[in-house]
Amino acid sequence: MSWRVEGRWRTEVIAVTAFARRNLQMALRNVFLLFELLFWPVVGVLGIGLMARFLELSPEATSFILIGQIAFSTVSVCQLDVAYAVLYDVWSKSVKHQFLAPIGVRHLTTGAWLVGILRSLVVFTMLSAVAWWAFGFDALHAGVGPLAVFLAGCSLTAWAVSVLVCTLIMLLGAKAETAAWASVNFVLTLAGIYYSVAVLPKPVAALAAAIPLTYFLDAYRAHYGFPAEFARPILIGGALALLYVGLSHWAFVAAVRSARRSGLLLKMSE
Amino acid sequence: MLAIDARDVAKTFRSGVFRRRETVALAGVSLGVPRGAIFGLLGPNGAGKTTLLSIFATLLLPDRGSITILGHDVLREASALRRRLNMASGNASFVWAMKPDEILDFYGRLYGLSGATLRRRVDELIEMCELTAHRRVRYNELSTGLKQRLALAKALVNEPELLFLDEPTLGLDPDVSVRLREHIARLRRERGMTIVLTTHYMREAEQLCDEIAFIKSGRVLARGTAAELKRQIRIGDVVALRLDPPDAPWLTDMAGVLRCVTSNGRIECTVDDAEKRLPEILAAIAAEGAVVRDIQVREPELEEVFVELAR
Repeated sequence: MSWRVEGRWRTEVIAVTAFARRNLQMALRNVFLLFELLFWPVVGVLGIGLMARFLELSPEATSFILIGQIAFSTVSVCQLDVAYAVLYDVWSKSVKHQFLAPIGVRHLTTGAWLVGILRSLVVFTMLSAVAWWAFGFDALHAGVGPLAVFLAGCSLTAWAVSVLVCTLIMLLGAKAETAAWASVNFVLTLAGIYYSVAVLPKPVAALAAAIPLTYFLDAYRAHYGFPAEFARPILIGGALALLYVGLSHWAFVAAVRSARRSGLLLKMSE
Repeated sequence: MLAIDARDVAKTFRSGVFRRRETVALAGVSLGVPRGAIFGLLGPNGAGKTTLLSIFATLLLPDRGSITILGHDVLREASALRRRLNMASGNASFVWAMKPDEILDFYGRLYGLSGATLRRRVDELIEMCELTAHRRVRYNELSTGLKQRLALAKALVNEPELLFLDEPTLGLDPDVSVRLREHIARLRRERGMTIVLTTHYMREAEQLCDEIAFIKSGRVLARGTAAELKRQIRIGDVVALRLDPPDAPWLTDMAGVLRCVTSNGRIECTVDDAEKRLPEILAAIAAEGAVVRDIQVREPELEEVFVELAR
């Protein structure tokens, strides 16, 4: 079946694919990809799983923390791809070229995010296989539907976090690049990666309640025998994720405008 | 018809959090660039040339002033304008691990090109900028000259009506510079492109530009053709002499002689008006008993105008 996307939509799609293609090209050329995709995630799952075995945790408790560990790698890989879309240009001092072109930040973030989703799916599949082989964890136990919702929640959270990282880079320059790696750790610590958010101190628990991933983890873990802590977690998590994706894009647009005003956009290209 | 109509453009850069520093880059620049012209911006380092170019290219927002480019307001219609312009700089850089054809493909897509049209365009630019042998070489392995040619190719990917070139031949070997200048001249000749360039090389400005604006401390000090600038600045004419005996220190004391410089046995005197002073100089040489072996009268070089204005 042939299809044509005309006019404005066609231009939108082409600009999005430009960033997706570039991220793919760079990913295939990046020697650290092996570490990002294979080494660290696998080491993480094996380490956490073996700790659970040593502590003689029940299969349910082991599943609980393995879900957190797998979510961590999935979100981390996805959000890094979007951050890379800006960082590649910051590192090579070529930021100004893409902002000279008639594109919006949505093209950059969407294109890179699509590649991020692809990479995070590879990571999730691989980690689920490792966790099943080594610890008997069944990622499909909840069924395809809940799993798809969980992965969508991970991707949306990664998108919002990564666009905020891009915003910070556009406001502060290359010195904000550590945020690309630090932010996801911070968010997942709050979202209850290895524990229920009920154990968090009250003010921190309030912060956790503002993070969409908290709800997606809660909903997915409910299928493994843990009572849900939130009512309608998917609805709240989805609404929060979409809100943050919108807000982070607004902030990124404002940051680019600020960089055009302050001259940082040019400074990052010198 | 003007391609660029800028009025009273001002820009101050602010830096520092606790100790606020302000640097005035442009202090009310007004400029009109006709369509189809090659327009040069000259000035010393820090004069504001790149700032002005960046504002025109929508990469920087001005603090004040109105700018209409190709009929678009730079602030309100930046997106529409970006489709019709492009920019290349002498110190351009691209993602290091990418190859020239991938870089052109990427930027082509950002301008809405795809499929066969994009492939054709990339091939055309690779050929035109003599990058065929290097199209699959990583960017960080290219020489400075090749990088510059790639920057020019990228700037032509959307076939812009208005092209900004910031020091396009900076750091290039002379033969590469000559070829790049020929490229630039051809772009205007064959495509009617309006080109605004900044340069430190006076010969480049004189060869390429229909009109030149001289900027210093964020202001336009003078503008016109190279010949007009020379007349406007009135730094006089140059009388170059080879005498026997070669030294004539008394020349500097003559009326109308502004300065004399001797090098390799040749004396170059700048005089207020060659037509009036030449007979007086020749008479004085004869009176001193010296013999004129060679004499030339010429207008000052643009470089001398530059030095005078930058003073």
